[in-house]
Amino acid sequence: MKRTFAIALALLVAVAAATAAPAVKLVYWSMWNQTEPQAQVLEAAIRDFEAKNAGVKVEINWNGREIRKTLQPALDNKQVIDLWDEDTERVVKTWGAYALKLDAYLAKSYPSTGGKAYKDAVMGSLLNLSRSYAADKGLYAVPYQPFVFAFMYNKEHFDKAGIKAAPKTWDELLAAMAKLKAAGFTPMTVDDAYMDTLPGYYLARAKGYPWVEQLVKDKTNAMWSDPAVLQMAKAFENLAKSGYLSKTVAGNKWPAGQQDVAAGDVTMYLNGTWLVNEIMGSTGPDFKWGTFSFPTVPGGKDDQTAANFGAQAFQINKNCKNPDVAFALIAHLTTGKWDAELAKKSYGVPVGGTTDWPVQLAEAKAIFNNLKTCYPWAAGIQANVDKLPVISENFTKLVGGTITAEQFVAAMKK
Amino acid sequence: MKKKRHTLMKAVFLGPAVLSYLAVFLYPTLRTTVMSFFKVDSITDAVSKWSFAGLDNYRTLFSSELFLRSMRNIAGIWLYGGLLVFALALLLAAILTSGVRLKSFFRAVIYLPNVISAVAMGTMWMQYVYSSRYGLLKSTFKTLGLESLSAVQWTSPEHVFGALLVAYCFGMVGYFMLIFMAGIEKIPADFYEVATIEGAGKFRQFRLITMPLMKGVMRTSIVLWTISTVVFFIWSMVFSPLNPEPGTVTPMVYMYQMVFGANMVVTERNVGAGAAVGVLLSLMVLAIFLASSKAIRDDGLEY
Repeated sequence: MKRTFAIALALLVAVAAATAAPAVKLVYWSMWNQTEPQAQVLEAAIRDFEAKNAGVKVEINWNGREIRKTLQPALDNKQVIDLWDEDTERVVKTWGAYALKLDAYLAKSYPSTGGKAYKDAVMGSLLNLSRSYAADKGLYAVPYQPFVFAFMYNKEHFDKAGIKAAPKTWDELLAAMAKLKAAGFTPMTVDDAYMDTLPGYYLARAKGYPWVEQLVKDKTNAMWSDPAVLQMAKAFENLAKSGYLSKTVAGNKWPAGQQDVAAGDVTMYLNGTWLVNEIMGSTGPDFKWGTFSFPTVPGGKDDQTAANFGAQAFQINKNCKNPDVAFALIAHLTTGKWDAELAKKSYGVPVGGTTDWPVQLAEAKAIFNNLKTCYPWAAGIQANVDKLPVISENFTKLVGGTITAEQFVAAMKK
Repeated sequence: MKKKRHTLMKAVFLGPAVLSYLAVFLYPTLRTTVMSFFKVDSITDAVSKWSFAGLDNYRTLFSSELFLRSMRNIAGIWLYGGLLVFALALLLAAILTSGVRLKSFFRAVIYLPNVISAVAMGTMWMQYVYSSRYGLLKSTFKTLGLESLSAVQWTSPEHVFGALLVAYCFGMVGYFMLIFMAGIEKIPADFYEVATIEGAGKFRQFRLITMPLMKGVMRTSIVLWTISTVVFFIWSMVFSPLNPEPGTVTPMVYMYQMVFGANMVVTERNVGAGAAVGVLLSLMVLAIFLASSKAIRDDGLEY
């Protein structure tokens, strides 16, 4: 009896040991919703990582963009979260204090980097971008899913309207719009969500983005008297008057405007390269996409080497118990096979940068390679959260044709 | 001896409720009030990280154009929306309690919007009814030959507040109608019988019997309406999901932005100012409650 008991006990111990917790468990809070293509690729890649690394188990928590609100309280309350992701600038500036400095890992090579050091397997500009947001210029986030913010347009419309080259200056843009209108297309639209990017980009092209940030933060509103503001307002008033903007532009609630682009009714839309993926369900893969950087403006300071570009980025918790495994996972996700897969499935830009760009982003690749200056989001016009809604509201009225350029400037100075 | 047992019983029965009230309501209220006088960066920051700011948060609020606009917006919702909802709800309640056929069917239909999630309702209004591409209003006006009305951009800055108000009130009418119907049905039928015999018409009966006996219900409804206006949030978020829009912003949306950060890539947060918004809103509800209690006195009528 005693022996039976001993055997039973031994068996129990053996079973318990076999089914015990894995040697390494990582918890990943994701910015994606499980139904998004990015999430599907990441999940498959993570399962592949688990299969290749026995004893590693990754628990995924699909937060979606709510992670902007949920992550920090969870970290403050000491919840175990080993890695997470969101926009590079956001993760470094907002959550940098919770993150591990990762520079030491860059020189190491991983199975998916093809024998090269990690830093040589990815676009250096992205690592530099991530560093530029940190106070000590260290690497606190590893970028992936890069994007650039530019005019996304329907190439077929351009061909039919007889436009040979994408516009580089504001005058060329006007000429292209005139041809598009003559060919029966609505040249441009915008949604409420991106309304501020138009004045933001124009003003940044005219005076540089630091000036735009100063402008919106100016408590006296005196800077709005600058001739550049009126020039910008006149330029868009002119677009509205010439009938170059969609008639529904003032009432567009995202995604109404971009759906007009998908439906082939409107040609241009200032947006990120992610637009291709976002409206793929409506356009189908055969839609002919083109991309051109925001044109230069008369008397302006910035040219097309400046744009808002960025990426999503992974961060590792500074309290993570297995940072080496966590970085190996990030390397697995952002290089080689799974980087290519993510770019393919989400019609996005690969982190490797050199090959395998989706055909829809062929023109975006040229913009990427030409970039020197990184604008903040909407070229700095969002720097004052209290002023922004007022700017957007009045700019909407301006492009909707209900106020004039002078009335716009007057409203800004109030 | 008997009295003592009563005290014990009271403590036993009231204890859990009182304790949970103190923990769940009073403590957060006090903490929020204290927070509104401090500069706090993240809502989960330890108290040691707070720095005293005096009345700065309140000053920030009253110098913010967006916050002032949000206050004007809820004042508009309270007044215009209130008049619209109460008038329609009373009218429908009076009609449905006057003995029309299919009463429960109509009651259910009018109440139906309340059963559906506000997010779904709001999305339906914004993306479908007001759509300038294929919207209900656009196609209806087009069919009627009213070209200029069908071209109206209902969600443009000029019209978005009105659009929001109509969409919100559409759902609220059924809710208050139900409350008013219950109030009317409580009034004994004899009163109306006597009035009819004495020669009073329906309108006179409504004015001289129904309305005076509905005072208590009205007072409660006004308080309910005030609270729902002050905490106006979901509809505003559905109409402007990314960044607040002057036409639809409300204090709760402003508070949400202050506490959790706006939807932009990097924004400054000011949890203290958010707490200050909360304090102001609570004071508003309290003021309206006291005012309506004073204005609409309970006559102590029993029937």
